[in-house]
Amino acid sequence: MISIGECIHVISSNVRTAIEGRDKAFIQDMARRQVEKGAQVIDLNIGPQKKTGVEVMGWMVETIQEVTDVTLSLDTTNAAAIEAGLQACRKRAFINSTDATPERLTALMPLAAKYNANIIALSLAATGLPTSADARIELASEYLLPAAMEQGVPMENVYLDPLVLTVNGNQDQTLATVEAVRFFKQMSDPPPMTTCGLSNVSNSCPPERRPLLNRVFLVMMMGAGLDSAIVDPLDDELMATIGIIEARDDSTPKGKLYLALYDTYAEGGAFDASGVDMSDPELRDIVKTVEVLENKTLYAHGYLRV
Amino acid sequence: MPEVEVPLEKWTGKVNEVRLGGNGRQAVVVGGEATFPFLQFEGAIPNRPAVAIEVLDVQPTGWPSQLAAAWGNVLADPALWAKKAAEYGADIIALRLKSAHPEEGDTGAEEAKKTVDKVLAAMDLPLIVLGPEVAEKDNIVLVAASEAARGQRIALGNCEEKNYRTIGAACIADGHVAIAKTPIEINLAKQLNILLCDLGVSPESILMDPTTGALGYGLEYTYSVMERLRLACLTGDGMTSMPMICTVGEESWRQKESKSDIEVPATWGELEQRALIWEEMTASTLLNAGADIVVLRHPKTVEAIKATIDKLMG
Repeated sequence: MISIGECIHVISSNVRTAIEGRDKAFIQDMARRQVEKGAQVIDLNIGPQKKTGVEVMGWMVETIQEVTDVTLSLDTTNAAAIEAGLQACRKRAFINSTDATPERLTALMPLAAKYNANIIALSLAATGLPTSADARIELASEYLLPAAMEQGVPMENVYLDPLVLTVNGNQDQTLATVEAVRFFKQMSDPPPMTTCGLSNVSNSCPPERRPLLNRVFLVMMMGAGLDSAIVDPLDDELMATIGIIEARDDSTPKGKLYLALYDTYAEGGAFDASGVDMSDPELRDIVKTVEVLENKTLYAHGYLRV
Repeated sequence: MPEVEVPLEKWTGKVNEVRLGGNGRQAVVVGGEATFPFLQFEGAIPNRPAVAIEVLDVQPTGWPSQLAAAWGNVLADPALWAKKAAEYGADIIALRLKSAHPEEGDTGAEEAKKTVDKVLAAMDLPLIVLGPEVAEKDNIVLVAASEAARGQRIALGNCEEKNYRTIGAACIADGHVAIAKTPIEINLAKQLNILLCDLGVSPESILMDPTTGALGYGLEYTYSVMERLRLACLTGDGMTSMPMICTVGEESWRQKESKSDIEVPATWGELEQRALIWEEMTASTLLNAGADIVVLRHPKTVEAIKATIDKLMG
């Protein structure tokens, strides 16, 4: 499971200020902290940066490469800035991201080929948000993968992203993204890679509810075959949960439960909570979260209190 | 005729039964359904949906003339109006304290208490009291109404996320029913029920108002939210199991289809009939979406909807 650290993001006002002031120390520290917490890739979201994107991305890449040799993910809608970043990167980078529109595919897929980069490809078209697993699979099979093949981008460099939507309002889409990931992994041999913007699942949910939703959803997605995720590596519990799954650590009741959930999704079965000790609040909250993510219980901000 | 086997769903949940009135007044119980609306062959529907007639505490302004004419002089006096509404077949009276609105007179607790006393004395039906829908003023006049009607088990609306604590606490103190109103959003509807229950309001003392969109003005959104709330309830979600109330009259009579006869296409037909159809269609649609109480305005619509309910209840 490859963790792509999301903390260098232009929406954060600290990051924005650091970019504007070319504050190397801040950016380097933010990169280092994420790597220390286990991020294998650092996402560099600089925003659209229409005018100064080329310069900013080049500066960001150089700045971070001064202190770490971690893999970088170049995150902007500005294709020229992406190319500048690719030229500056000493290691194979990620392009974040193309969607299924001809404009983005034409602009970015050739760059992935030319620089032998990984490319995140979203199952999103100009017609609106996908409303089912099938819609996501269709976008991947009709647009994303053919564009990669046409440019000679190998499948193992393509990271299909099913476009995670929030459980608060799009509750029926949560399992659709899980099923899309499962299918993505069967679409070619060798299979394409998969990723997702994990925290989207809890967008517009109260801050205190978000970490658990993110963790439980990640376990379900990992079970379905997710190879990587864009995550907050400073969320210790989240990183510990990845550790539990990867080490198959069943030494705690929580570990046992997460592994049971993971195994259920790996087998494509239905999760059965009947053996879980519901008197343990931690386990009960996980089970309630599964039920919400599986759309068995209607989501409300207070779902854990019911 | 060949034998056709009707497919039946097996539901695990049912709608809470909520009683209004009693204790000397007539009582109306709504809810209790163990299936979708009017599917008696599938599950129990122990109570008929109720029809409430809306009464304002001030002479309405801007009402279409045919609606005003249907009530005549009683519009000037909420007690006479409520009495007349009872004669026209209302199961419940829904009193709107419109004069408390800052732009409609800005009346306060004293006036609210007097009006509620008067209306309760004028008839023996269960009462719903609705505030002016300005949260601070709702708190003031609904708390006054609550005290005035202590023990009469009226319904108080609306509780919204902003003011549910005050209204909810009044309901607990005086034994009333809280109307939880949310803006056509299923997750918020459930959340408000959770908050009210956390506060200590019993689930059997809550009605949900999902916010009504009239025909042509969001009816399908309201329908969809109500259908999904009811589905969640029937599959065992206790926090969506409250009966639903829809303010049909208020919404349909303010649309241009119910008011305007100038510069409208001839194919719209004659205004008087069109306006009645608007209210009736909105009401009957929402009854089929699971409404347990519809609040209406025109006596003819009341008659028509009661006949529809009779037929649907078999």
